[in-house]
Amino acid sequence: MKRPEPFEIYRPTSIREALQIRQTKGAGGYFQAGGTDLVIAVKEKGLVPKYVVDLKKISPLRVIREESDGSLRIGALVTMRELETSTLIRNRYPFLAQSAAEVGSVQIRNRATVGGNVANATPSADVAPALLVLDAEARISGLHGERSVPLAEFFVGPSKTVMMQSELLTEIVIPATHGVRGEYIKFSPREMMDLAYVGVAVALVFESNDKTCSRARIALGAVSPTPIRARKAEAILHNRVLTEELAELAGNEAATECSPISDVRSSAEYRREMVRVNTKRALLNVAAHITEPLRWIERRDRKY
Amino acid sequence: MEALEVVGKSVARVDGKDKVTGRATYGYDLVLPNMVYGKVLFSTRPHAKIHLLNVEKARNHPGVLCVVTGEDAPWTWGEAVKDTPFLANGKVRYVGEPIAAVAALDEDTAQAAVGLIEVEYEDLPAYLDAEEACAPGAFPIHEDYPNYRKEQFVNPHTSWPNICEHFKLRTGNVTQGFKESDLVLEERYRVPKIGHAAMEPHSAHAQVDPASGRVTVWVANDAPFRALHILSEALGLPQEQIRLINPFQGGGFGSKGGLKVEPIAIALAYRTNGRPVRVKFNRPETFSSTITRHGATVTIKSGVRNDGTLMARQVTIYWGAGAYAEKSPTVCIRGSLPSPGPYRIPHVQVDGYAVYTNEAVAGAFRGYGIPQTAWACEQHTDELAKRLGIDPLEFRLKNIFVDGDLTYWGEKLQNVGLKETLLKATEGIGWGKASNGSFKRKGVKIGRGFACILKPTRTPTTSTALVTIDASGVATIMAGTVEIGQGCSTILSQIAAEELRIPFEMVRMHPLDTDVIPVDASTTSSRSTYHMGNAVRLAAIDAREKIAKMAAAALGSSDDNLKFSNGNVLLKAGPPGVVSIAKLILDNLGTEGKVCGKGSYTFELGKDLNSNDGHSEHASAFYMYATQAAEVAVDEETGRVRLMRVVAAHDVGKAINPASCVGQIEGGLVMGIGAALHEELIVDRKGKIRNPSFLDYHLLTSLDVPEMTCIIVECPEPLGPYGAKGLGEPGLAPTPAAIGNAVANALGTRIYDLPLTIERVYWAIQSMKKKSPQVQLTGAS
Ligand SMILES: Cc1cc2nc3c(=O)[nH]c(=O)nc-3n(C[C@H](O)[C@H](O)[C@H](O)COP(=O)(O)OP(=O)(O)OC[C@H]3O[C@@H](n4cnc5c(N)ncnc54)[C@H](O)[C@@H]3O)c2cc1C
Repeated sequence: MKRPEPFEIYRPTSIREALQIRQTKGAGGYFQAGGTDLVIAVKEKGLVPKYVVDLKKISPLRVIREESDGSLRIGALVTMRELETSTLIRNRYPFLAQSAAEVGSVQIRNRATVGGNVANATPSADVAPALLVLDAEARISGLHGERSVPLAEFFVGPSKTVMMQSELLTEIVIPATHGVRGEYIKFSPREMMDLAYVGVAVALVFESNDKTCSRARIALGAVSPTPIRARKAEAILHNRVLTEELAELAGNEAATECSPISDVRSSAEYRREMVRVNTKRALLNVAAHITEPLRWIERRDRKY
Repeated sequence: MEALEVVGKSVARVDGKDKVTGRATYGYDLVLPNMVYGKVLFSTRPHAKIHLLNVEKARNHPGVLCVVTGEDAPWTWGEAVKDTPFLANGKVRYVGEPIAAVAALDEDTAQAAVGLIEVEYEDLPAYLDAEEACAPGAFPIHEDYPNYRKEQFVNPHTSWPNICEHFKLRTGNVTQGFKESDLVLEERYRVPKIGHAAMEPHSAHAQVDPASGRVTVWVANDAPFRALHILSEALGLPQEQIRLINPFQGGGFGSKGGLKVEPIAIALAYRTNGRPVRVKFNRPETFSSTITRHGATVTIKSGVRNDGTLMARQVTIYWGAGAYAEKSPTVCIRGSLPSPGPYRIPHVQVDGYAVYTNEAVAGAFRGYGIPQTAWACEQHTDELAKRLGIDPLEFRLKNIFVDGDLTYWGEKLQNVGLKETLLKATEGIGWGKASNGSFKRKGVKIGRGFACILKPTRTPTTSTALVTIDASGVATIMAGTVEIGQGCSTILSQIAAEELRIPFEMVRMHPLDTDVIPVDASTTSSRSTYHMGNAVRLAAIDAREKIAKMAAAALGSSDDNLKFSNGNVLLKAGPPGVVSIAKLILDNLGTEGKVCGKGSYTFELGKDLNSNDGHSEHASAFYMYATQAAEVAVDEETGRVRLMRVVAAHDVGKAINPASCVGQIEGGLVMGIGAALHEELIVDRKGKIRNPSFLDYHLLTSLDVPEMTCIIVECPEPLGPYGAKGLGEPGLAPTPAAIGNAVANALGTRIYDLPLTIERVYWAIQSMKKKSPQVQLTGAS
């Protein structure tokens, strides 16, 4: 571990100020939210920032709010722990809260932010699949104004997004949807403090209580250069009754849509198999609770 | 005998508060006045000649005090075989071997200077597999092996290349035994290299006094007196010219004995003009450049009668020693010796080979070889029972060692608590009863298994201690046992308080400094409670007898009419009389006076194993026995093995501190489960460890730990203090085998290689499904 070269740290209190600092100081700067990815990049991966813009004082970015149209706005600085424990999120999308709860440890989640997880864009980012299946959009601010990018188009490659160096991710917007039920399975050898070997999120809307899917979204983490949607698998579910056989078919399809790698953690073949199994399981876990009110279900009570 | 007052009680640890509040100073925390910082250049090649080593630029880098290479530090060391250079000398033998070191005013400067060192290699054939390394015609990793200084017990195999130890055990005639058997089964099991992963990484601080040439080393070393001896031999200095000071050790599990960072710190300290040098390894360096546990391949063949009588067993083990011998010869000897298991077997043959390879050095690891051989032996034993259609518990009850049995190494065993551990652990897991596991569901298979072990301790060895009592009545123990986290300071304090009958709080442990503390063999091999416990007990008794003389005079009584209680000496009979120990010392010796008791203990019957047949009538001062049982839920769709419960029954002789015993067992279980399900150092084809960090080297987290039931069995050892044996190591030894048996029980197929990762178990299930159900998977190759 190397001590970083000395660099300047700025602590702006508004988005505008943050962007202005980037403009005046020029290249070589990095935003910092919780720092749980950035500090490691500096200490262990040879990243040498010229300066760092610490975002933590920009308080408008620290809130979760519900708009009148039913959409949700999650500020980029909302921590994983806040997302996990937010009543609003737990009531509306318990599986999103659960995906945040899968990150690291409580200590890490107290610092790690949603914006940092998304902006850092590792293929295994734990909140990405859950946000993808909710059709979330990224709100991005730059010197030349604001723009909105669907999350499905936001990720470009490992650690690469559509954002420019000087742009700031301000919010994640989840459009209003009704009757969405979802599930996130983080599949890794250990119960906690592990990276996803495979991450599977599903979000389904059922027509009535007969398990016919009127809308289906499936997203996969850690098995492609970016978190991805499994659209062919989604198509299999569309307007069909979610049975065990159908879930299995969707799992098989999802396994063909990803492009996992072999590394020190596991082989590509095994990852593909686990996409198959866990996609099926995630779908069936949702189906199993279809008649109950939405609620947080403890990990040990879910099938994963 | 009087009832015990503090021995046998779960008193709180004496070092507990300092540790949980962060006040304790570990080796890694040490700050010395005026110190400079060392950093190391490590080899990137598994086996190569060093063509060129240019340190000029590093030497001229601002802030650098010195750069040292093998030429500047031309010393070699070795415990069993003197084969290890302080810094690579002309040749590297593994990726991670220290080549050169820099001392500078700060760590970053030192690291930057390391980056300026140029090195060119000429690659040599590299061996990453023990069996390949000793195949005929293999290139020698140590050309000079025949000329190295070796300890007497080392038994190299002269006709095969790269063997640094060949252990042989010969009892009866295995060929005959197999002939007389109804079933003969041969299997092959594998255990990978794993890391010790102690919480505190390795470090050493060293200083050489320019005037006297005296060398002082501050290091958390588990055997400071052995290190002193090795250093004295290596540097050619008399022992009094070397001093080791032991700060707190943040765990070691065997990785902090011998020399690790010490040689580098010393090599630098010779060139810093008297300034102390700090060398700290970070986590990847600790993984790659200190030591690992031995990977092992165990071939085991048994002959049994249809009624379950074990007739013969032949075990062949290849231990991957890594690039230097370190403790491999003794791991090979003491790990191979009981590899056929704790069973009565008339015909036994064992061949253990410790083989040099071009991997990180393997050495001592909690359990000293037993976990590797138990993985093979205990699964194999279950497999035999299964094939004979006999319940594994019944099979073991028929064959396990009991009091009076003559072992296959020629020793008559006494005080064997094995059967009790076996019965209690299996009862605890509900062996033979239906499972009430909460994970019952489609695609999840529940299974149970158990495994037994026996572990010897290093024998013969000596411990010596002093117990002093001052005029305030405080007793100080001067003992060379290192507090590696196992709780020795607490139990030694309990023993001293017990014998002196003073309050437990009135006992102190003297910090460990080889200049003032009497010699102790080592804090290894689960030997301290027994050996040092005896030495401290004898020292306390010696002190008590001296005080008794003073008391007899003061109270006008005879020695045998005295009773020690709560810091006082009282008359047992006659008119009442009482005097405090403090007052006796004050009155007799003055305010600065101290009574000093001495104690020393050696298990004198102990005899080395005969190098021809591996026999000894007293191979070990005592034996540790244990049985552990596990219940697993195996998810057939993912290969995930969920551990539902473990029950561990250990014969400790006498629990001096029951809470401490449970702590040792639980800690052992957590390590054992990690080794069973997750841990493996993954080495690539170029000899580099690919997962030298906790991101990808998976230890258990607290959420991965199942329900643990620890059962203490007390089958007293008459020569042990209060009947105590040892417990430091066995906690993890049977764990993987118990889990392996449970997984085999769940799946109906056996997995021969550790660890039982999700992926390995998944593919095993897949290949089982592909094969027809009649075909048995065997590990036989
Ligand atoms: C021990 C440990 C365990 C972990 N476990 C997990 C895990 O289980 N799952 C998981 O997904 N991750 C895990 N992580 C990674 C990390 O915690 C998460 O990715 C976290 O969400 C990052 O958020 P942060 O606020 O700390 O980001 P930072 O480190 O502050 O930033 C990360 C990157 O994003 C950029 N950035 C941050 N915010 C913005 C913004 N608003 N606009 C533009 N760019 C921005 C930064 O410049 C930087 O490049 C773990 C990390 C550690 C240290």
